[in-house]
Amino acid sequence: MNTPVHTIAINIGGGYVPGINSVITGAVLAASELGWDVVGIRDGFDGLLFPDRYPEGGVVPLTPRMVRHLSATGAVLGTAPRSDPFRVRTVNADNQIEEIDRSDELLAKLRTEKIDAVISVVSSAALSVLFKLHRKGLATVCVPKSAENDVAGTLLSFGFNSTLSYTVETLERVREAAESARRIGVVEVLGEHSGWLALQAGMAVCADAVLIPEIPFDLRKVAEKLRAKAKAGQEYGLVVVAAGATPAAGSEIIESAAPNPMRASLAPLATGPEDSYVIDQSGRMANSVALRLQRLTDQQIYPLVLGPLVKGGPPTAVDRQLGLGYGAGAVRAIQDGQCGVMVAFQPPDLKFVPLAEAINKIRTVPRDSLFVQLSRSLGIALGD
Amino acid sequence: MHTPTPTGIVLNIQHFSTHDGPGMRTTVFLKGCSLRCKWCCNPESIQFKPELAYNLSKCIGEKECGLCLKECPESAIFVLDSDGKMRINWDLCTNCGKCVPVCPPMALYLFGQEMTPEQVLDEVEQDSAFYGESGGGITLSGGECLLQSDFAAAVLEGAHQRGINTAIETAGNVPWSFMEKVLPHVDTVLHDHKLTDPVRHKKWVGVDNKRILENFKRAYETFPHKTFIARTPLMPGVNDDEEHIRAVLAFIRPYKNVVDYELLPYHRFGENKYTFLGQVYELEDFQPPAPETLKRLRAIIDDAFGRKG
Repeated sequence: MNTPVHTIAINIGGGYVPGINSVITGAVLAASELGWDVVGIRDGFDGLLFPDRYPEGGVVPLTPRMVRHLSATGAVLGTAPRSDPFRVRTVNADNQIEEIDRSDELLAKLRTEKIDAVISVVSSAALSVLFKLHRKGLATVCVPKSAENDVAGTLLSFGFNSTLSYTVETLERVREAAESARRIGVVEVLGEHSGWLALQAGMAVCADAVLIPEIPFDLRKVAEKLRAKAKAGQEYGLVVVAAGATPAAGSEIIESAAPNPMRASLAPLATGPEDSYVIDQSGRMANSVALRLQRLTDQQIYPLVLGPLVKGGPPTAVDRQLGLGYGAGAVRAIQDGQCGVMVAFQPPDLKFVPLAEAINKIRTVPRDSLFVQLSRSLGIALGD
Repeated sequence: MHTPTPTGIVLNIQHFSTHDGPGMRTTVFLKGCSLRCKWCCNPESIQFKPELAYNLSKCIGEKECGLCLKECPESAIFVLDSDGKMRINWDLCTNCGKCVPVCPPMALYLFGQEMTPEQVLDEVEQDSAFYGESGGGITLSGGECLLQSDFAAAVLEGAHQRGINTAIETAGNVPWSFMEKVLPHVDTVLHDHKLTDPVRHKKWVGVDNKRILENFKRAYETFPHKTFIARTPLMPGVNDDEEHIRAVLAFIRPYKNVVDYELLPYHRFGENKYTFLGQVYELEDFQPPAPETLKRLRAIIDDAFGRKG
């Protein structure tokens, strides 16, 4: 963008991950150094699209004085589970619910508010929404946030390190409890497509097995390892499974509730969770793996689901630094006229990746990655 | 002047249904709904327009195929490195359907197609041999079938002309004029009473139930010779309480043409389809109601209708 910048806005898309306030702080302090004003849009874009919901204003000024007193924990602008101006659910005059495109209205409101550019803190899923807004003329710089570190184009999304730390701490507790009870703990962690959290956390605590989406698993191989350890005197264990881990073709039948054939016939394609690729949410992956492993090992196994619980809490030092850096980096991108980009940490630099290159990709664990190799060296079974 | 035949967007024609009205029935699902029930088991029926769905387990991957990648004008299809299979960027997809015909394993498909009443009836009539003895016929469902009122009326009128019994499943959140247009051609009206409290109705379904209750009351009174069957999709912790059941009974019992009240226990069979459509299933922690709860609530209904349990 070539026009001079006077005011920028920050919006936070998606749910909370630790470090959001650090990004806001970084952006506000860096913008202040340039003499720019900063405002925050509440709850994604809701502050602009639904101003009636905010008696104190859907857009709030953010000053250096204010952010200096901002707690590192929490999200001062709120969060919105899904903030998509192209599909806004509304009730029309005929009392019918419909999803309508309010993107033009959003862009008009940004102009009315005299906002020159927007720093959008988004997950990989929401990058495409910002890409579409950019194509329609929005000057935006995105900051990657992810508890699973699945945003492509950057080595590290903020939020991941805090999630990882909390997961590691919990896994250690689970293993100690498992040892005391002479049982095997199966812990399900976040990771729909990407196994970084399961792998790095499992590696950090030297889990007995880690199952990730990128490496289809055969539980018989995991059971073999657990049986051998039991025989050698270790009658407890720890298995970490990512929510999106999948059994290798022909190797497993994941237990699930038997579909009711009568009801199943009543609606098109309502055939129940028969396909193993379906991500078993709500801890069903932990339950399924635990049940199957118990049958294979004859050891008592208990499942535990960490799920989104690990996304709460305060940021680690790494996420505080990364958040501050990403916020300041986004301001630098705007200053350089580089809109339609995502700030990316590519050590030792912060770089600006065009959104077109960041979308349509998910940062997955390569099967030959160093983490996979090291895990194998540590004797961690990966189910293959 | 010639009036053009209305066409409708049909999601699916389900043969040999046994829970969508009396006897063995052929259920025609129409696309488009005016509510957003959080427990919806047919999310593919919500939008009016045909929409893309993707069944990952059928995809044979970029190495073997990859045709859809070249066909998509929006670059909304990409390959996931870890398994070499396609993923849909639902934010970029416009549901144009250009990827569908080039997908050999039919992993990509469109929910919904435009049909004329005659096309629907010709397919429905193939099941007519099963209707006679069982007292079955055609049932229009959805989505909300009354939203396509011209099409629905034409299909049901045509069904009557062919001697086929007719039923509809409706949640009732439509202008009265839609209901008034369709109901003359309906033998049995299966209608939902999801929640009786308007605030809670809005919370779980998206709008309050004022118009719905007005419509039903007016329908009971305007069409005294039609058969009405009230139904509640039973959601644990939402409406599986005696208070709701008794409130519905109090609403329907004054009308002799409301002949029954059925409870449809919540199930999770629609969950996969949210994945196919790239949507999030909000009720991932809900479980079907306990058999004891169902038994207890059904006993209340039996009692109200003077039946022995």
